Amino acid sequence: MKNRDTRDLIGGIALIAIGVFAAMHARQYELGELQRMGPGYFPTVLGIILAVLGVLVAVPALFREGTSIKIEWKSLLWVMVSILVFAVLLNHLGMIFTSALAVIASSMASDIKWKARLILSGCIAVITYLIFSFGLGMVIPVWPWSY
Amino acid sequence: METLDSLYIGLQAALQPNILLYCFFGVFLGTFIGVLPGIGPLAAISLLLPITYHIEPTAAIVMLAGVYYGAEYGGSTASILLNLPGTAANAVTCLDGHPMAKQGRAGVALFMTTIASLVGGMIGVFALILFSPSIVEIGLKFGPAEYFSLMILGLISASTLASGSPAKGMAMVVFGLLLGTIGTDINSGVPRFDFGIAEMMDGISLVGLAMGLFGISEIINSITIKRDGKITEKITMRSMMPTKKDVKDSIKPMLRGSGIGGFFGALPGTGAAIASFISYAVEKKVAKDPTRFGKGAIEGITAPESANNAAAQTAFIPTLTLGIPGSATMAIMLGALIIHGIQPGPMLMSEQPTLFWGLIVSFFIGNIFLVVLNIPLIGMWVSLLNIPYRILYPAILVFIMMGVYSVHNSTFDLYVVAIIGIIGYGMTLLRFEAAPLLLGFILGPLMEENLRRALLLSRGDMATFIDRPISMWLLIISLLILSWSFFGSFRSFLRKKTLAKEQAAAGNA
Repeated sequence: MKNRDTRDLIGGIALIAIGVFAAMHARQYELGELQRMGPGYFPTVLGIILAVLGVLVAVPALFREGTSIKIEWKSLLWVMVSILVFAVLLNHLGMIFTSALAVIASSMASDIKWKARLILSGCIAVITYLIFSFGLGMVIPVWPWSY
Repeated sequence: METLDSLYIGLQAALQPNILLYCFFGVFLGTFIGVLPGIGPLAAISLLLPITYHIEPTAAIVMLAGVYYGAEYGGSTASILLNLPGTAANAVTCLDGHPMAKQGRAGVALFMTTIASLVGGMIGVFALILFSPSIVEIGLKFGPAEYFSLMILGLISASTLASGSPAKGMAMVVFGLLLGTIGTDINSGVPRFDFGIAEMMDGISLVGLAMGLFGISEIINSITIKRDGKITEKITMRSMMPTKKDVKDSIKPMLRGSGIGGFFGALPGTGAAIASFISYAVEKKVAKDPTRFGKGAIEGITAPESANNAAAQTAFIPTLTLGIPGSATMAIMLGALIIHGIQPGPMLMSEQPTLFWGLIVSFFIGNIFLVVLNIPLIGMWVSLLNIPYRILYPAILVFIMMGVYSVHNSTFDLYVVAIIGIIGYGMTLLRFEAAPLLLGFILGPLMEENLRRALLLSRGDMATFIDRPISMWLLIISLLILSWSFFGSFRSFLRKKTLAKEQAAAGNA
């Protein structure tokens, strides 16, 4: 067989890994007994169940054909860049510039002209200010010099 | 009449100007995101969750609920005009709604789905009023063992009935339960899975998880989807008028749809989407001429739209009376109440009568707002469909980030959202559903607490779960659902295998 069901194979293996990791990690917490469960009991049991379910997802996938996975790398990349830009700059540049820059970053994922992109970023920055600062009264510095 | 007195209390609460305003805002926003394909009610409600920290609990829950049932109204618009469902529960409306639009009957379709939504919504609210008090009475008898078993039933049906593969659905629930254990253990005070990071001691925030799983991954998925076809036709009031035959043919389907929706909405794990599909199937069965379906049959849109709106209302029954949400959206609703220090459950009705009945009366008011929003103002929503997604998503992303940041005024939560967003996108790629994960995450701490308490009371005897009759029945039903769905998926697996073998044999011959 050439094309195995890679989706469920990867997914199942990931579940096994998470389950085993959780159960191992929970060993440092006291297990307790049924009558008086310690903090480790519930996560350990869940980790084991998750690993078993992972096997149930992965094994049938070995005997089944599947379709290939298509990842939208460009969208993924620019959305992540946008979040990072926002997280890093918010406490330094204020919400107007930060929102505008975050919009420029995320809009790189679509084919939009630079002029439209700049207008869009300005509009969204103003709307964000109006909603969150003006409308909801959130205390966030608006400009770089308002700190 | 006790119920009438209670409704009067609710009416007074719901008619306060600020509650009316939040109700209107909620249904308005609900229609907005319902109309737009690519953003669902779950993402919108989680987007609003941070805002609810700043307003009083009744107003908050009235608004969030409005978004939820408002989206069921708006969702049919894109189904009819673009053949793209606005929300999952409106998918079946495409089948006959879009053909109606092609025949030049888009206006009639939009009008009739709104009326059907109103009928379904109202019948759903009446069911909520009628059945809630008696379910509360049963709920008052519940101990920790019954609660634990009920949560097992809810999680098993939510993970196996809705999704394709029961093992994958279950895995998502368990993963959610595990994520729920992150943070300080309430019984022992021990921080779990904190990896030495101080911010992790409080656990992952619900807002961050919901936004990452539904907001961020939905955006990444939708950016490159090409949407063809601009809507050029104008929907006039005259074009919306249904014929006498349209109305006559819709009355019974709307009532049947409301009944089906009301029933499935209240069950844990099933919901508006499943209810709309079942009611469509039922209409096709009872129709004298089933071949009309798929070619613009009016029953094909009115029955499912009544069903999904009735389900959206009755979904509140288990959430409000037992404190057990049947779906991920309801789980967020529950989370919003818990944020305000209100624990939904059988005591809610007697302890918070203004909130409980105020919410219910606001459903009536909200449904009337929605008719006004969806019939005279339909033109506005139609033009909204012409806004390209490349302009919308950068704004949605900024709103998500502002919302997440505002919960704790910390940028740490933004990094958490980025990571959860990547996990969420990975899950969509691998076809894992995020809704059961969120349900598990919210029920996790409740489940662990009730499990511990039940076993403490029984001195470690597991038999307590089957010695108590209600608990035993809940577990038996869970087991039946579980074995039925695993058997079903095993059988379809075998069928596919033999089919593949036959094809291979045929190919060789």
